Amino acid sequence: MAALLSSLAVFLLMRAVPGDIVGQMLGQAGGDRAAEAALRGFFGLDRPLWQQFLEWITATLQGDLGRSWYQGRPVGAMVWEAFLVTAELALATLLLATLIGVPLGVLAGIRQGSRLDAAIQAVNLVGLSAPVFWLGLMLLVGVSQFLDWSPPFAWSGPTEDLADNISILVLPVLSLTVLQAAAYAQFTRGLMVEELGRDYIRAARAKGLAPAALYFKHALANAAIPLVTFMGLILVQILGGVVVIESLFSLPGLGRLILSAIQGRDYPVVQGALFFVVVIAVLVNLTVDLLYGLLDPRLRP
Amino acid sequence: MSAFEMPRRAALSLALAGFVLPAGAQQAPADPLLYGPTDPKAKRGGRVTIGSLVEPPALDPFRQAADARIRVSVLMYQGLFFEDQTGVARPLLAESASPSADGKSWTFRLRRGVKFHTGAAMTSADVKYSYDFMRNPANGSPGAGDLSSVAEIEAPDEHTVVFKLSRANAALPMTLTNKYGAVVPKGFLDEANSGTRMNEVSVGTGPFRLKQFRPNSTLVLERNRDYWEPGLPYLDEITFVTMPNSAAMVVGLQSRRIDLAMFSRPQDTQALQNAAGVEVHRWPSLNQKSIDLDCKYGPLADVRVRQAIALGIDKKTVMDASIAGYGTVLGTMVAGMQEGWGVPLAELANQKVDLEKARALLRDAGHTNGLDIDLTTIIGYDWMDPAAVTIAEQLRRIDIRVTIKKVELGVWIRNFRAREMGFTFNDWGTTPDPSLLFYRHFRAAPEGADFRNWNNARASALLDQGQETADPTQRRAIYAEFQKILAEEVPTIMLFSADVLTANRTRLKNYVQHGTGWYFGLAKAWVEG
Repeated sequence: MAALLSSLAVFLLMRAVPGDIVGQMLGQAGGDRAAEAALRGFFGLDRPLWQQFLEWITATLQGDLGRSWYQGRPVGAMVWEAFLVTAELALATLLLATLIGVPLGVLAGIRQGSRLDAAIQAVNLVGLSAPVFWLGLMLLVGVSQFLDWSPPFAWSGPTEDLADNISILVLPVLSLTVLQAAAYAQFTRGLMVEELGRDYIRAARAKGLAPAALYFKHALANAAIPLVTFMGLILVQILGGVVVIESLFSLPGLGRLILSAIQGRDYPVVQGALFFVVVIAVLVNLTVDLLYGLLDPRLRP
Repeated sequence: MSAFEMPRRAALSLALAGFVLPAGAQQAPADPLLYGPTDPKAKRGGRVTIGSLVEPPALDPFRQAADARIRVSVLMYQGLFFEDQTGVARPLLAESASPSADGKSWTFRLRRGVKFHTGAAMTSADVKYSYDFMRNPANGSPGAGDLSSVAEIEAPDEHTVVFKLSRANAALPMTLTNKYGAVVPKGFLDEANSGTRMNEVSVGTGPFRLKQFRPNSTLVLERNRDYWEPGLPYLDEITFVTMPNSAAMVVGLQSRRIDLAMFSRPQDTQALQNAAGVEVHRWPSLNQKSIDLDCKYGPLADVRVRQAIALGIDKKTVMDASIAGYGTVLGTMVAGMQEGWGVPLAELANQKVDLEKARALLRDAGHTNGLDIDLTTIIGYDWMDPAAVTIAEQLRRIDIRVTIKKVELGVWIRNFRAREMGFTFNDWGTTPDPSLLFYRHFRAAPEGADFRNWNNARASALLDQGQETADPTQRRAIYAEFQKILAEEVPTIMLFSADVLTANRTRLKNYVQHGTGWYFGLAKAWVEG
């Protein structure tokens, strides 16, 4: 339902934006109305909106996203290829951000009020405030100026050339990780502080439980649920927010695909890709809900 | 940095003729100046990588007007003539051109021994088919408008085509060049998906063929082994990579990752001036950065307001602000054609700042308290922002209060084509012939597109005459008169032509940049070592 409604919204919004592919193709050339009309007919843009939508949604629900007006390739294949790039970027970022953010947050939470805590919080603040595109650009320029190195230009997937793949992804993942790790650390710290202030912790402490068991077996385990929720949110956020980083590093991912399709008014690609993104967002949220059951025995049936 | 490097004067006299007619009946040797000068030291082999900020949306030369498409497709596809920078249409797939006395029938002898990338031999049937496809408005080609004077194309024998025109067109050879359309195998375009097929295979006759196009990543061309001009091209492979910004191109050149890049802002090449193994070049261009005035839009409907705006703008200052002075201030002709076709700026109206006169004109037009107007800039065109701020400052002196409005390119094109452009910046290029520069843009409808709603009968009559007149001296006089009206009436203010800036690794030799900004020069470039 969510996917259907948002598809309709995307469909209408795309057509509400002035200009269409016909203008893009003709540019400042030929003011010929006949040529315009011919092209509009070719792309089916001369038919009523409801008819265009009905046709598109029927095909989509049958698994056919149509073909790109510029490239002629099936939208499904284009979206899937782009998604693999973005997914790799997002998962690598998520992994790295978790590995860095959670321990830092735990540390700051345990040592609440200490200098370490203050230092971690200061770093977080910078991480949260630095715009991703600025960070990415600085990394790109800095690394190439000082290390005389720059990532390969042409994209290679992990199965094509792993070394190339990793060198391409290092900088974009780093730029995205800074923000997400900082957000993660802040959030984890808050959870830890809250948990450590609870009565059961005081009781366990009084019972003489070792601090390690206290922090990890009890406090962190209880904080796991909100953390997983947060992870889901961050994943969706990364998926939606990679446009800037993909453009900056020339990665052929979903964000870039959607952006260039919007600019070129390639409706089938925009609609197909956004439909796909909505489905993914729904799936991620579903997975998060299912994970709750695993993490919290009380939620099991 | 060296100054202009094109051999400009050499072919100037020919330029005025509009075309050249090599004699001879048998296989004519190729013109040594096709695509640029030939380097006798050139050697075959090698691969180069080219960094570019823009990527073609698709590679179909018949249906994609995007400049990013033309840049690369000229290496794969060919028309009958090559648009030499100096204004000469040099025979390419044609061998010679003979117009009839009344200029309404043109006979083109075709080059022999030309093969398509498909392996098939090119014949007159392919030429007729390709240009018939292009000129039919039902096929939606942006080049159809330029061929509207063509009534019929005949192919009397395998190596001859005859273009029959409804009205004489002295610019016909220059129209049959490489911007839109090309000669492709007969029947290829009949398939509905032929346009997108061209992203996978090239079917032209050009020196390079398509190897692989990966959108949002790379475009790879390889040497056409069957190319009709013996020995050409020199390079084995060319890879175009799409780069995010000019900083990345600078770094790529320094780190030897790319061999050539084109820059739109001179500031960006500063870091390369002293870089080892990198040369920066500056070339005169056929582009124009201008302000267009919709002659039906609000206060602009009054010619006095348009004149006042022109008198209030100091083009030199605008150029300095937006491209650090790396260009040429224009009157009514792009820089690359000024010498052959332009009227000296001193002889044109409304070129010099005159605030008193501007204020008087506004008063006469009834704007005693000045006026408010929106000036449109296009997102992604970096030079427009500083230019807009400068112009807003300049116009404030005559009480024109400018609000700068930024729009996305797709929206801008929509408004432009709908003839609702208002008061806007524009950035466009031309094939080097005055008819191709002016006709579509300024001829009243329906013959022209008249995007600016100018609808000027005298100017339209001159554009018709200019197109029909073959005599170079007469033609020149006609376009001079047209330009004087253009300057007087101000449907557009041509600000400046920005030089094309290229930077290359020194291993890449003999790359001569064409004024259009297209990559013709790669057909004759070679690499050392």
